[in-house]
Amino acid sequence: MTSTSSFGGYATRRYTPDRGTIGRMLARDSIVRRMDWVMIVAAIVLSGIGSLLVWSATRGRTAINHGDPQYFLIRHLMNLAIGIALSIGTIALGHRRARAIIPIIYGLAILLLLAVLSPLGSTVNGAHSWIVIGGGFSLQPSEFAKIAIILGMAMILSGRVDAGDQLTPDHRSVLQSLGLAVVPMGIIMMMPDLGSTMVMVVIVLGILLSSGSPKRWVFGLMAAGTTGAIAVWQLQLLNKYQIDRFAAFANPALDPSGVGYNTAQARIAIGSGGLLGKGLFHGSQTTGQFVPEQQTDFVFTVAGEELGFVGAVVIILLIGIILWRACRIARQATDLYGTVIAAGVVAWLSFQSFENIGMTLGIMPVAGIPLPFVSYGGSSMFAVWIGIGLLQSVRMQRPVSA
Amino acid sequence: MTEQKRPRPGQLPRPTRPVRPAVGPRGPPRAGGGRGPVRPPHGPPAGAALRLGRPKPRLRLLSVLLTLVMAAFVIRLVQVQIVDATTLDAKADVNRYQPVQIAAQRGDITDRDGVPLATTVDAYDITADPYLFTPGQAKVSGAPQKAAKLLAPLLGGDAKTIAAQLATPRSRYVLLARGRSPQVWNQVKALQNKLAGQASEHGLPGLLNGVLAEPTSKRVYPNGTLAAGVLGFVNAAQRGAGGLEAEFDKELTGRPGTMTYAQSGGQMIPQAGIQEQAAVPGTDVELTLDRDIQWAAQNAITDQVKKSKADRGYVVVQDVRSGQVLAMADAPGFDPNDLADANPAALGNPALQDAYEPGSVSKLMSMSAVINQGVATPLTHVVVPPTLQRGDRVFHDDTDHGTEDLTLAGVLAESSNMGTIMATGQLGSTQAQADRVLYSYLKKFGIGDPTGLDFPGETPGILAAPQDWSTSQQYTIPFGQGLSVNAMQATSIYSTIANGGVRVTPSLVRGTTGPDGRFTPASAPRRTRVVTAATAKSVTQMLESVVGSEMGTGTMAQIPGYQVAGKTGTANRVDPATGRYHGYTSSFMGFAPADDPRVTVSCVIQNPTVGSYFGGSICGPVFKQVMEFALKTLQVPPSGAQAPQVPVTFDPGTPARSGKPAR
Repeated sequence: MTSTSSFGGYATRRYTPDRGTIGRMLARDSIVRRMDWVMIVAAIVLSGIGSLLVWSATRGRTAINHGDPQYFLIRHLMNLAIGIALSIGTIALGHRRARAIIPIIYGLAILLLLAVLSPLGSTVNGAHSWIVIGGGFSLQPSEFAKIAIILGMAMILSGRVDAGDQLTPDHRSVLQSLGLAVVPMGIIMMMPDLGSTMVMVVIVLGILLSSGSPKRWVFGLMAAGTTGAIAVWQLQLLNKYQIDRFAAFANPALDPSGVGYNTAQARIAIGSGGLLGKGLFHGSQTTGQFVPEQQTDFVFTVAGEELGFVGAVVIILLIGIILWRACRIARQATDLYGTVIAAGVVAWLSFQSFENIGMTLGIMPVAGIPLPFVSYGGSSMFAVWIGIGLLQSVRMQRPVSA
Repeated sequence: MTEQKRPRPGQLPRPTRPVRPAVGPRGPPRAGGGRGPVRPPHGPPAGAALRLGRPKPRLRLLSVLLTLVMAAFVIRLVQVQIVDATTLDAKADVNRYQPVQIAAQRGDITDRDGVPLATTVDAYDITADPYLFTPGQAKVSGAPQKAAKLLAPLLGGDAKTIAAQLATPRSRYVLLARGRSPQVWNQVKALQNKLAGQASEHGLPGLLNGVLAEPTSKRVYPNGTLAAGVLGFVNAAQRGAGGLEAEFDKELTGRPGTMTYAQSGGQMIPQAGIQEQAAVPGTDVELTLDRDIQWAAQNAITDQVKKSKADRGYVVVQDVRSGQVLAMADAPGFDPNDLADANPAALGNPALQDAYEPGSVSKLMSMSAVINQGVATPLTHVVVPPTLQRGDRVFHDDTDHGTEDLTLAGVLAESSNMGTIMATGQLGSTQAQADRVLYSYLKKFGIGDPTGLDFPGETPGILAAPQDWSTSQQYTIPFGQGLSVNAMQATSIYSTIANGGVRVTPSLVRGTTGPDGRFTPASAPRRTRVVTAATAKSVTQMLESVVGSEMGTGTMAQIPGYQVAGKTGTANRVDPATGRYHGYTSSFMGFAPADDPRVTVSCVIQNPTVGSYFGGSICGPVFKQVMEFALKTLQVPPSGAQAPQVPVTFDPGTPARSGKPAR
């Protein structure tokens, strides 16, 4: 912590009638002291590592970096700065005050999603889920829709509980919240962006689980999902190549020129890193550009190859620290609203992290899901930092009146 | 745990009851909170958060789950990065380092003076990407047709075929033309650039932008059909597939090199990890052929085969002293530069690959045997009856005659079958013994054995062991029926006599020039004595009377100023299609100058159908033409000496000079 320069070594702060800015910040009950710095430091370190990995992955990709090796680094750092600013803004607003404008946030998210389906949207890698702004920036509204779903469900589920009317959400609130979540998910399925939909399904399950909703909803939904998947498989609604693509994460030979190629190359990249890695900027798979989408969905392979087992474990540990602190925040939240928000963010970040890393390691199916804090991508970066802001806000339990 | 004391969720809702306080971690309880029966009796410790009804244990479960998943990931990382690291690292190297084969320049085949008969030049396979000719990419409709119209004259193809190729749906690669010269590709490129320049003014892609080329090499035969049968040809992979190209394929091919380079994004990284193992160019093979004599031989035989409407014909020219083949020509031939249009039946080298019954040219061996065994001399009297009963057959000569009083020389000069049968009958006290003696001579002359050229597809001919000779074979083999030879074997008989009775194994290769530029001469040919020098001299004189005497069958082979020794042959030919005798094999073989032999020339024409079929009439002139040219080319001076006149007939009144009278 910075030294209290204006006060020198004096320990007389308490007696000072008007405390200065820094003094106020360092006060026992100040915002700064109440924030979860462990999580913030972990998130910043993770973002810093991510910047290096994105830089390494894109330095030589002249086909996309417009001949500027720092093209992606600069944009990634700008995204990070904007993300941190959004995070601070979220803290300043506070999740409780935001409760009043959740319908507006939700409406905006739906509008943006619909805009993607309009001629404003554009297609990247087969998914029609972007709005190109220009200057190399584009917006992926599905990232913000995740936040809207978390906030909206938290609002509905916690409404009567936090008012003291009920101990746990009733069936009606659960149904309402599910209806709220299904609308954006339906729009995203039309893009189609299966990865984002999967994340949202997990967020919904996480929220229902953590909100204390009746068991039958949580397990009923899971059972319905499983039955649906089995039905699709048994009724042969999918073509063989679709199943092969899905299964290629485990056996790359099933789709050698598509998903299997990505999986195989990703595994080669990670495995060839060994214990200590080949050194940043020295990975042959990375400089050789053998792993597709390496700055976004497959960024973990850069870590695996160039930073080795040690670097990969560090990234997993940092994500673990963030999730541990987030779980703690969810547990310590004083109202259901805060718990549900924190749990929703946990479900979101954890599933994205595990799906992303799992897919590069060949133990999860391949889906276009970015690694939080690490992958290149403005919308994702903004969204996860807003998520951090929400978590901090829940932790600080900022009173409405403050 | 406090929550265990809370009511089960199934007991809810109890809406009237105040349920749940909201207490900040460090702040005071909010108004309205902190009451109610759900509270544990002693309350939470100061500062500890109050708990929700159910979510908290679920959240704890979630934390445990997350920890387990993370542990699973670390275990998987250990598996991938520690256990499988070596394997995967090797795979990364396979990705990283791209090996490229560097083709070795195929060696040349040259004539004896180093003039290339087969060489390799740079060429381009012209290819195209049909995708770029689709309307969406080309921005014009009918791009394949328009492009094909421009390309067809340059590539020498059919516009319709090319248009169809360019319109191949869902393809990114078609081969338009193989092995085009750099000039052709330059023309295509020039046209491509011109069109692209014009189109770019309208913001369109050039019409021919989708035409590409792959550098390759191409075997060319600068002299076209010359010596094609000997040289052979290469296949599409530029590997020898016939003739010497196949025989010496390993030497000619050399050893391809490899270059390994580091790649990134499919592109070579300059200066990074380049390992190069240079290709070792192929060995050049220098033949014994003389391009000029080969041309003369090929010219002469092609003309005569055409004139006689024969199936085929071949000429072999051999250096008497060294055994080297100076020319080996056949007709009809083929152009190895253009195999697509070649007659498949003409792709071989029939001078080595055809086994045929030699007929009278074989009598030289019979005469040599008789004289070398000392049972007769050239002047031995042979009374030849009009017909001769032997075994189950009655033999005649080609021309009917009454009883003739011939010397042994006369038997050869007139090519009397009956005289030859009578003379070889003297080789042993029994016919079986005579057969064995004759057989031993035939073997020594090289009949029934490979020539030693090791030419692909070469035939050793057919010569049965004497005990297997049928009754008629016993009497036909002496005059050259009932056994098969190839033209090289037959030529070698004459060279052996010309070389004073010593057979020199024929050779086609003078030596090789390795990639180091050093010339390695071929190993010296084997020399074996077949008959004595005296026998050879006697037989040579007899051969001179074939050409020189008025009664001889080979008078058309006379060359003014030179003494020529030779022998005609007109054999019944086995039709390869039916296996029965049909048509004739006409031949003439001989050497010159007879007083100091230098060159042997043989001419064989299979199944002449128009005009004369006598060897002397159709092969004699070919022999003469080729021999004259060869003597001039080799700068052999005319001796001007008169040919020794060996009497071919005798007066029945005078007694036989030596040897036993023939029966």
